[in-house]
Amino acid sequence: MKPATQVSTAGMPVYLDHASTTPVDSRVAARMAEILNSETEFGNPASVSHDYGDIAHALVEQARGQVASAVGAASNEVIWTSGATEANNLAIFGVAQYYRERGRHIVTSRTEHKAVLDPCRELERRGWQVTYLVPDREGLLDPDQVAAALRQDTVLVSVMHVNNEIGVVQNIGALGAICARHGGIWLHVDAAQSLGKCPIDFAGLGVDLMSLSGHKVYGPKGVGALAVAQRKDGSRSARVQLAPLLFGGGQERGLRAGTLATHQVVGMGLAFELASSISSKETVRIAQLQRRLWQGLASIGGVLRNGSVSRSVPHVLNVSFEGVEGESLLAAVRPYLAVSTGSACNSALAEPSYVLRALGRSERLSESSLRFGLGRTTTTSDIDTAVAVLSREVGRLRDIAGARSGRVADAVAGT
Amino acid sequence: MNYSELTRRYFESPGSVGELSGAGVFRGVAGNREQGTWVQFDLQCESGTLQAVRFLAFACPHTIAVSAWLAEQSVGKALMRTLPESVQELRDRFDVPADKMGRLLIIEDAWLAAAIPAIDYRG
Repeated sequence: MKPATQVSTAGMPVYLDHASTTPVDSRVAARMAEILNSETEFGNPASVSHDYGDIAHALVEQARGQVASAVGAASNEVIWTSGATEANNLAIFGVAQYYRERGRHIVTSRTEHKAVLDPCRELERRGWQVTYLVPDREGLLDPDQVAAALRQDTVLVSVMHVNNEIGVVQNIGALGAICARHGGIWLHVDAAQSLGKCPIDFAGLGVDLMSLSGHKVYGPKGVGALAVAQRKDGSRSARVQLAPLLFGGGQERGLRAGTLATHQVVGMGLAFELASSISSKETVRIAQLQRRLWQGLASIGGVLRNGSVSRSVPHVLNVSFEGVEGESLLAAVRPYLAVSTGSACNSALAEPSYVLRALGRSERLSESSLRFGLGRTTTTSDIDTAVAVLSREVGRLRDIAGARSGRVADAVAGT
Repeated sequence: MNYSELTRRYFESPGSVGELSGAGVFRGVAGNREQGTWVQFDLQCESGTLQAVRFLAFACPHTIAVSAWLAEQSVGKALMRTLPESVQELRDRFDVPADKMGRLLIIEDAWLAAAIPAIDYRG
């Protein structure tokens, strides 16, 4: 008979998937509800002919300032979108289309989010060329790799800041310097996972375009932003220009047509303000929880950590379990733990994580990997539950597979 | 992926996990761990009747559940040159998706790899 396993008080599995999405902060939800219920704040922010529009416009601009301030940008550099996916699409297609006469080459990496890789694939179908850099076994790109990949016709480098699957942090500052040095090559950074997890400085890093998401930082889903640099400094002779994807109204300086959802952008603005004031104490707490989780999982044996340890955020831990089959592993833990195999955006597809494959993990190990996303709601008890569940279920599956502890490697190698 | 109640029950609490040894034990193995599915059956028979069955599986929940069910249900029954229940019947019983039919065939291969030598040995 199975030992009793603690499930959260709501009867739901322990939530350890904050890298996929986060619960909305109660202060954010309350403010959004206020706006939705308001008799004065429902106006169209683009309506300039009456007070209702002015009030909504002021709310949107206040939120724009909150987002800008949280990431080191100026207010006029923030363009609202429906999320980071749209922001990535706007950055990539926008640059490609606008600068199509200057060049049709893009540099990115194999471990980017699908919201970057799929637009790049589409551009390839339309005649552009894309170089997909392979990171090292820790998931890190060497800036020299990027420099070596640049060509006369390169118009864009797109590299994410914090990887959504393994949590590694790329050296964006170095990439910004490289792009600036070459001139005419714009740097786009998918920073959907960054805020509240590590320092982020849009202007200081020399980034031209930065994608942001509301729901990764305890804000609402369905809203994001693209920061578009307006600065012109010593290293830049011009500002980045974009061709819009949407037409019909000229909102967002003509870059993103469509009536803004006031409650959504206000929610994101407040969430960003709250996230940017996260105390170092909270970061230390998350790091301690991650250490406790890793130590517990490592004690099971046959568990491999994916991604750089020294250059990663503590909010994400990705591990591979030797000697267990991937689908069975997920099915076994699902009643108790909400975790991801690879990125949640890929979980509908029965294929191993392309990020882990790019790091050199075998197909089997990639499939038997779990991503733990720690966040504000994570407690020590959650971590202990996760370790207990995995210890029991991995042991059980290894018994079924005839691959218990010391026999793991033999079993894997000796079929 | 959603699993039927029967699949989940046999996946979560599979009996007959392990190996057998000694006289009258025949082992059949099929599949490959590196390919994602590997199944082993040990059949112990006496006078044409299965006395004990054990299995091991590095496989998905459906494959584990079906293997566990076969091992449990076949004890005390006559050993035949077929699975105790056809692949199609097993698919229906456990609500196995069509794209996993190949895994049921691996189960069949492992079973027959043990059963046929056992029958032939008995003469």
